Amino acid sequence: MNWLTFELRLVVRSRLSVAALLLLLALSALAVWSGIHEVERQRQTIARLAPLHQQDVAALAARYPDSPTAGSAAYYTFYDTWDPPTGAAFLALGLRDVAPYVLRIRALGLQAQLHDGETFNPEIALPGRFDFAFVLIYLAPLFVIALLHDLVSGERQSGRLRLLLAMPDAGRLWRRRAGLRCALLFGCLALPAAAGAAYSGTGFGATAIVLAVIAASVAFWAGLSLLVATRPWRAVAHATALMGAWALLTLVLPALANVALIRAIPVHQGVDLMLAQREAVHGAWEVPRQQTLDRFLASHPAWQHTAPLPAGFHWKWYFAFHQLGDESVAGEVREYRAGLLARQAWTVRLGWLLPGVGAQGVLHRIANTDLPAQLAYQDGIAAHHRAIREFYYGYLFDERRFGTADFARRPVFVPAAADMSPPWPATLALFALAAAALLAGLSRLGRLRPHGAE
Amino acid sequence: MSAVHGIVARIAREEWRALFRDRAAVAGVLLLTVLMLVAALTAYEHQRNAAAERARYQAHANGEFEGQPDRHPHRMVHYGHFLFRPANPLAAFDPGIDGFTGHTLFLEGHRQNSANFGDVRQTSLLLRFGQLTPAFVLQVLAPLLLVFFGHAAVARERESGTLRVLLAQGVGSRQIVLGKLLALAGFAGLALLPALAALAWLAAGGHAPWQPALLLAAGYTGWLLLWTTGVVLVSMLARRGRDALLLLLTCWTVLAILLPRWVPAMANGAVALPTRFEDAIHVQREYLALGDSHNPDDPKFVAFRDGLLKKYGVARVEDLPVNFKGLVGMEGERRSTELFNRYAGEAFDRQERQGEIIDAFGWISPALALRRLSMAAAGTDLASYRGFLEQGEHYRYTLIQGLNRLQAERLAYADDTNPARENRVSREHWQRFPAFRYRPPPLDDTLRRAAPAGAILAFWLAGLGTLAWLLAGRLGRIAR
Repeated sequence: MNWLTFELRLVVRSRLSVAALLLLLALSALAVWSGIHEVERQRQTIARLAPLHQQDVAALAARYPDSPTAGSAAYYTFYDTWDPPTGAAFLALGLRDVAPYVLRIRALGLQAQLHDGETFNPEIALPGRFDFAFVLIYLAPLFVIALLHDLVSGERQSGRLRLLLAMPDAGRLWRRRAGLRCALLFGCLALPAAAGAAYSGTGFGATAIVLAVIAASVAFWAGLSLLVATRPWRAVAHATALMGAWALLTLVLPALANVALIRAIPVHQGVDLMLAQREAVHGAWEVPRQQTLDRFLASHPAWQHTAPLPAGFHWKWYFAFHQLGDESVAGEVREYRAGLLARQAWTVRLGWLLPGVGAQGVLHRIANTDLPAQLAYQDGIAAHHRAIREFYYGYLFDERRFGTADFARRPVFVPAAADMSPPWPATLALFALAAAALLAGLSRLGRLRPHGAE
Repeated sequence: MSAVHGIVARIAREEWRALFRDRAAVAGVLLLTVLMLVAALTAYEHQRNAAAERARYQAHANGEFEGQPDRHPHRMVHYGHFLFRPANPLAAFDPGIDGFTGHTLFLEGHRQNSANFGDVRQTSLLLRFGQLTPAFVLQVLAPLLLVFFGHAAVARERESGTLRVLLAQGVGSRQIVLGKLLALAGFAGLALLPALAALAWLAAGGHAPWQPALLLAAGYTGWLLLWTTGVVLVSMLARRGRDALLLLLTCWTVLAILLPRWVPAMANGAVALPTRFEDAIHVQREYLALGDSHNPDDPKFVAFRDGLLKKYGVARVEDLPVNFKGLVGMEGERRSTELFNRYAGEAFDRQERQGEIIDAFGWISPALALRRLSMAAAGTDLASYRGFLEQGEHYRYTLIQGLNRLQAERLAYADDTNPARENRVSREHWQRFPAFRYRPPPLDDTLRRAAPAGAILAFWLAGLGTLAWLLAGRLGRIAR
């Protein structure tokens, strides 16, 4: 272990390296801390809203203590839904800053309510979150580059290179030296992440994968740095080439891919389905009521036995046309979601080639803060909305009275358990990419010969 | 005098020759140019498509609205209308927050809705890596290029000992620095050229007004000059080229990557925004306290009713020359709109306070100042978005009150309160409502919002320039 203390002393003697390592540690700790803080804030918000909502319903129940029909209660009662952050959400906050994680719905047409936005400051969302994913994907590679780019050229500049290369186990020395620096970098990233995971109760499996993703990111950039650093150039040229590669891989290519993706898979059905739903819902007022109700009963035979419509307004007709409005755009909804999922699928595939995009995808999946998580939340809302409708239909179609006791029987939202299994093919691809880069870098390092150093 | 110029020019020429002997520098400039062209073309096309699509949707929605059959005006109040935010022509240069805000606004009675279907919720997380736009290329990538290829400008001369030779031959140290600055500024100009051409084309072709385009051109020119000066300054101070490179890369990372993310995150923590959920509950509570405008007998409207009876000098609402139900609808809409506007205004004010915190950090990271200037000039900042929402809200209010007025003036109270009667007014009335016309923010507003950011950039430029001038005078002595 003598070599370790020696190499460590070498690292510590370089004030620049120590400063870089400490800075990385501070940045990742700050990111983890602010992520945990933000998740805590979201949990508090969810907790704060529940009693507020209860009061709202209680006031309504007091206003309608006993009605001959459930119509007013169905019309005015809102239902709260929420999407609690997972234990790993602090690592990658994802879309949770721009999409609602709490949403109120009621028994009216779902599609007019499901796409409501959350209040957020777009100027703050624009640059993206400062979270651990950002530190790992954007900043960490720069630190790897800073510590490894002059591994060889630094020795040449100080005149020790010939001596080092002439030693019998030169290959091992380089590997140790690079390995130690990588291990320190890994530690600076992994320690805060692991501490955060322990604090927030992230599962063991998820934490292990996060650590593996950190290791893979460091390994990829270390491999690339070694590939470049073993070229017989000056240190400045190494740094330039590596920074160029970084800018290309994390800034330029993902942005280009985003342009390509948006062009290849246009998604404007969101607006279409909203317009179509409005026409269906409001057009219903111009259609004879019985005709609308017959259409509804044809697809919902459970209520066929119920009394015919009276001459005037009846709530069951009102809610029936709202449901028909949703059903009439079911095709558009499917297309819209298919478009979103297709974009997601291509992004995951892109991660096979771009390690930053790959790591981003895996982290956000484990954190359950990506687009699929959004859609899963919407599915949960839709299921809850179905339950709400069925609940009221019992009263409306059977013309049962609705009172305070019935308010207490209303369905309660239960958030679905988050599916946090990582996208295995993409995860393995990321590991393979990292391993390939690292092996290539190490093998070049092993083949470093004095003549190459001239 | 001309001899001095000659020397500066010669140093600049030599530096240019050195730059262009470096294949990497040529490749870098070419890559940046290609990126800029790709960014400009795709952004322009995307913007044109979006504009066409939104105009098409708007025409469709207008047609649907006008094509509604004869019906009760209050049905139209609930049928509502759709507005689509027209795409700003300069958004092709800097889309700013466009991808993060919805552009579909549903207008209806008794409610203010949010704009929905922003791109950010419809794309995978790739959007969060940054959009490839001319603004992104110039804000983030161009300074990196300047750092790569300018860091050695003076340091190289020092390292190779040529600096001392030049000074010994009587070349002024300021002339050397000026020459290097000139060369690097020329290099920056090359990177800027496609963007300036794109802006000129947008302005000259009548796609965009020329003043904001000019402001954008000035802002980005200042931004790149700022980096040029900073790079040469650091190159002058550093003992070795690689020290200069490391220092500059650190500056770039902190100023262009780290602070633009960290500062907004901090501002978001400093000023909390309530969720739409709780705002909705609070609004709903106050809304119920205002009275139900669908019910003319609601006790909350008694004072309003008495006032009306007095004004018309009659004893019963049935004797009013206008339909009392319609008037109650108007009064209710007036009250509720006041309430909604208060909440919406508060939400926006909070967001603007967050923006002010971010802007204050512009003194530390001019990248933030540049982003403010750029988004304000392109009309893609929060203020422009707020402008759209407020115009949309104004349109909504006018439309709903117009419909309520139809109810008040075209339907008799006796008919309107008879549930057995079908009350309808002619569809011609829908066709008479003027369509929504978005008015972009006036130029004065844009300039006023961009001015502080411009001042910050000018301050940085002046500060770095002065520092470079002072230190250049002592070039022979520093960091020997």
